[in-house]
Amino acid sequence: MKSRNKLAPWVFITPAMILLIAFSILPIFIAFFISFTDLSLSGLADFSRIEFVGLENYQDVTSDGVFLQSIGNTLFYVALGVPLVVTLSLTVAVLIQMGNGPFFDMMRLFFYSPSITNIVAIAIVWSFLFNPNQSIGLINQVLSWVNIGPIGWLQNPQVAKISLIILAVWRGLGINMLIFSAALQNISPTLYEAAEIDGATRWEQIWNITIPQLKFSTFFVVVTTIIGWLQFFEEPFVMTEGGPLNSTMSIALFIYKNGFQFNRFGYAAAGSMILFVIIIVATLLQMKVQRRRDENTI
Amino acid sequence: MATFKKMLLGSLSLATIGLLAACGNEGETEGSGTGSDSSETVTFWFMGDGNEQVQPILDAFTDETGITVNVQSIPWSAAHDRLLTSVASGEGPDVVQMGTTWMAEFVDAGALMDISEYTESSEDLNPDNFFEGNVATTQIDGATYAIPWYTETRALYYRTDLLEEVGYSEAPKTWEELKDAATKLSERGDNMYGFNVDSADQTFAMMFARQNGSELLNENNEPQFTEPEFTEAMEYLNGFIQDGAAPGQDLGLDISQTFGGEGIVPMFISGPWMISIINENAPDIEGNWATAVLPEGPENNLSNTGGANLAIWNSTENVDNAVLLIEFMSKPENQLQFLETSSSLPANMEAWEDEALSNELITTFGEQLENSEHMPLLPEWEQIAQSFLTYWEQITVGGADVAEQMEAFNEEATNILN
Repeated sequence: MKSRNKLAPWVFITPAMILLIAFSILPIFIAFFISFTDLSLSGLADFSRIEFVGLENYQDVTSDGVFLQSIGNTLFYVALGVPLVVTLSLTVAVLIQMGNGPFFDMMRLFFYSPSITNIVAIAIVWSFLFNPNQSIGLINQVLSWVNIGPIGWLQNPQVAKISLIILAVWRGLGINMLIFSAALQNISPTLYEAAEIDGATRWEQIWNITIPQLKFSTFFVVVTTIIGWLQFFEEPFVMTEGGPLNSTMSIALFIYKNGFQFNRFGYAAAGSMILFVIIIVATLLQMKVQRRRDENTI
Repeated sequence: MATFKKMLLGSLSLATIGLLAACGNEGETEGSGTGSDSSETVTFWFMGDGNEQVQPILDAFTDETGITVNVQSIPWSAAHDRLLTSVASGEGPDVVQMGTTWMAEFVDAGALMDISEYTESSEDLNPDNFFEGNVATTQIDGATYAIPWYTETRALYYRTDLLEEVGYSEAPKTWEELKDAATKLSERGDNMYGFNVDSADQTFAMMFARQNGSELLNENNEPQFTEPEFTEAMEYLNGFIQDGAAPGQDLGLDISQTFGGEGIVPMFISGPWMISIINENAPDIEGNWATAVLPEGPENNLSNTGGANLAIWNSTENVDNAVLLIEFMSKPENQLQFLETSSSLPANMEAWEDEALSNELITTFGEQLENSEHMPLLPEWEQIAQSFLTYWEQITVGGADVAEQMEAFNEEATNILN
């Protein structure tokens, strides 16, 4: 009886584990192996044409100006985008939580639908919004009413990154808002009642009860959002293809371009290994900080 | 309650198995002509958005031979990836449409079958039937790997009415006239231009370089991008942008606004597909626009030959039916049929004697085809051309120095080729 119970969990996990290993873990090892070769289209067709080149790919990629620029761009995206996404989704979740009824339900739908809308459809609409021509681009048209000149949202190298961040934040709000909403509903109302009896204002309640109670979900949202934004790909891919002047090129887009447009699989694999290491280091750092924080509060 | 749960679980499992089986079956009949009963079928991968353009020809083929064609249409944007995965998996169609610029890399990967014996024995597949420029894209290292299907070249589209206003009753015929006309047209207003220097097309600048006498690569495949023939052409094109005669970045406007209506960009260079696009989207300028051969540079007015070929996938077991399909599609009447549905110019020279190609707008392209060459047929060329665009962007958008950028570009091209 006992041995059957011990087996049950494994039986339930096994199918997911098999899929995970086959489609996630194994490809990582294959990519690791490929990064030390000069695999290209001809090598794919005929394995005997693949040559082992050692660290050459890594040396080349770390001296590639475009790759270094893409690292800088990606870090910019993360530094600006992640705090925006986390704070905005938390704010929206708290605001929606404050009431009931059809208006609040509609708001929830309103903020969540960008997350589930197809990126290509979004790209078409936002390309029109960002259009630099004041008679076509809605944003520039509205700005022209207050006499702010036409801004090259996707044409100006300095502005293009900001435009993509705006787009990605708008898209990313929904999912995180849902996570925060779920966590908010789990906060015991007695805490709020006790605070009100003690005379705390709305803002004090939020600051001292809500936010500390959401500690774990905030941690989860921050970690997953950072991992997601380090792999920033879809927005530059559909909107700018990395331009203008590679100002919106992200690491993932660089890997894709070199791998699938230029067929330089070994080179792209080296870049992807570097991205992998960056993500692992970032995540481990956050977990360490969180553990230290947990120890301090106890 | 327990029985209900059992039934639910049971029916869910059944549904899942059924779904998996259905997916499995679909996969089999879709892509590979190998293994399944392939004696009366042939699979064809067509590059486009849907089968409508090519379906009439395939139906006629089935009527004539009784062989069913399993056609799969793949959009150009996804085609390269699709072919890539087919090389990796080893499974492909019987007949595949190949863009001329992709021939080199896929022949190098051994994806296409050597069909030299068929071109020598079959009347329909004789290379002499087709334009030289296109035949050249099918022959690599002395063997033939494809048959030209349709060809395209680039010519000048211009607004006859707007050019009249600045004193040009005919299209500009030389580089100087082009620059002059474009400058005069851009003086119409602040957001008005005269010409379009296409910064997204990797063949555009190369055409102009050739018109100035540049070889792009010499006999030893060494890049010639720092030679004056190349840099002068780049200075010429950059001049348009810096003087405001051409837009520096994509205006994000529709053809009806750039070419139609006021004619914000009244001259541009493109291929024959634009004819039907302009007729559809800018009917207001009917009769006020025309096509002309490219203006002559110091040496010539060479344009770029592109197009697509039909090739046989190397690992197919259905060679005979594949050859039959290609023969059928190479006949002049079927190429004209394709012209009707897609505005693509036949690669078969006999087809050009037909009335359908006597329209003035189209004869220009026929004329230009006589002075048209394809891009270098190297597997690495695509990468070089793409990297050119990044250096070009530095010049046009970043204001960098032409000579400096060409030095850097030449260096990178040399690295890529080694």
